[in-house]
Amino acid sequence: MSAGWSLWVMFLVVLNLGIAFFLYLWGPRAKIPTRPDGTSGHVWAHGVLREGVRRLPTWWLVLSGGMFGVALIYLVLYPGFGSHKGSLGWTSHGELARDQASNAARLEPLMQRFMLYTPEQLAGDPAARQLGQRLFEDNCAACHQRSGKGNQRLGAPNLTDDDWLYGGTGKDIATSIRNGRAGVMPPWASLGEQNVKNLAQYVLSLSGSPHDAKMAAAAEPIFKTTCAACHGPGGKGNQALGAPNLTDHIWLHGGSLADIETTIHDGRQGHMPNWDRRLDEGQIHVLAAYVYHLAHPDVGAND
Amino acid sequence: MAYRHFEAIEKHAGLLGVGIAIMVSLGGLAEITPLFVEAHALKAPPNVHPYDPLRLAGRDVYVREGCYLCHSQMIRALRFETERYGHYSTAEESVYDRPFQWGSKRTGPDLARVGGKYSDDWQRMHLMNPRSVVPQSNMPGYPWLATASIDGADIQARMRVLRRLGDPYSDADIAAAPGAVKGKTEMDALIAYLQGLGIKNEPTVADGVPANDGGAP
Repeated sequence: MSAGWSLWVMFLVVLNLGIAFFLYLWGPRAKIPTRPDGTSGHVWAHGVLREGVRRLPTWWLVLSGGMFGVALIYLVLYPGFGSHKGSLGWTSHGELARDQASNAARLEPLMQRFMLYTPEQLAGDPAARQLGQRLFEDNCAACHQRSGKGNQRLGAPNLTDDDWLYGGTGKDIATSIRNGRAGVMPPWASLGEQNVKNLAQYVLSLSGSPHDAKMAAAAEPIFKTTCAACHGPGGKGNQALGAPNLTDHIWLHGGSLADIETTIHDGRQGHMPNWDRRLDEGQIHVLAAYVYHLAHPDVGAND
Repeated sequence: MAYRHFEAIEKHAGLLGVGIAIMVSLGGLAEITPLFVEAHALKAPPNVHPYDPLRLAGRDVYVREGCYLCHSQMIRALRFETERYGHYSTAEESVYDRPFQWGSKRTGPDLARVGGKYSDDWQRMHLMNPRSVVPQSNMPGYPWLATASIDGADIQARMRVLRRLGDPYSDADIAAAPGAVKGKTEMDALIAYLQGLGIKNEPTVADGVPANDGGAP
């Protein structure tokens, strides 16, 4: 704040407090002309209501006087009087820094204990799960739902089924959270409409779902040469690439015939953002334990 | 001052009104005028740049649709806010926001640093129908944005006005604007705007001191 503005604020503070203090001193001493009946002569409603003249109550005088004292003490201790910083040196950012430091000090022993364990072990710790759940609901639930069951329309995987696109160890889960994941299934419309339909039937056959055996058989060579590059010759998927296992009944983008045809025809993009900018290592560690627990609810169930 | 002066004020409503107006305005004069004048001297930090054409279009959609009525873009310097939303907001981050999108009305969460928190697909589905990703949401859907196109010449006009107000757009920036928004919908623009919030202007920490700690009081 420049010196000019500082003086401006000081002037206004003195003016405001000065006017109020003058009225406070003058009010009780003012000579108010009083009628014989003890009223001021001010009347309302044709004389029905008359204004009495009384001393100001002592409690009011004491409280009001006290407020001036409080105001002066405040202006000495805290910023407010121009560029005077206050003898306490208080700033909102300083208070935030103190709050953060004291919270970190309270959490530190807990986090140190948590870091001694792997996420798999930590999944059995109720305190870690409680912290993890808060972090999950605030950051992950928008895509994976509060329950962790995911969102097929978005392609957010179900985290409760122990079927993992990028690996399900605590370390894998932490890596997915820290760095994010980008899954890309290219569009295969170029294979021709009939081949896409045949391939969808073949994909259904991999999981033993009801399918057209003739169409599936026609697509088998295409699957082995094209799709197998990522999904493997048996359709078991590839966790290094995040290619889903097609032989189970768990579907990232929906398992109906129409869904599978759309997936093959148009391709799919999956995008899990990286969280290393928003969460620290300890938080990622605890979150990984919570996600591991979602898929292994029996871990630590007896705690 | 004698009692008759007091009586004059009490008996004339106009005079009483003027007196009240003077007393009430003192606080505003002390708190608002210095900041109002000094705000114009605020310089953009090196990492804060004016909006590119697509994000500028998105920002105008944000304002037009009244997103600010439910979402603030101001993280206060309080632990429970920085814990959830990130570094508190600083005035310098908003030098290219006309008008700024601070505010204190939060029916939905603060969006000051929402950029990158969700994927583009999530933002799209959420804007089309929020319930498709957040079942408990009471936010309205904005499906018409997906079919509304952006007029490149209109964005150029907006950039020229902003340049007149002091935003450092070059002639080349303005000439390139129609190409940058060509074929994009208002939905694309709004998502680009949201995905840049906080990402492109977050204060950096050097020597343990934030890029801006709010300055001297």
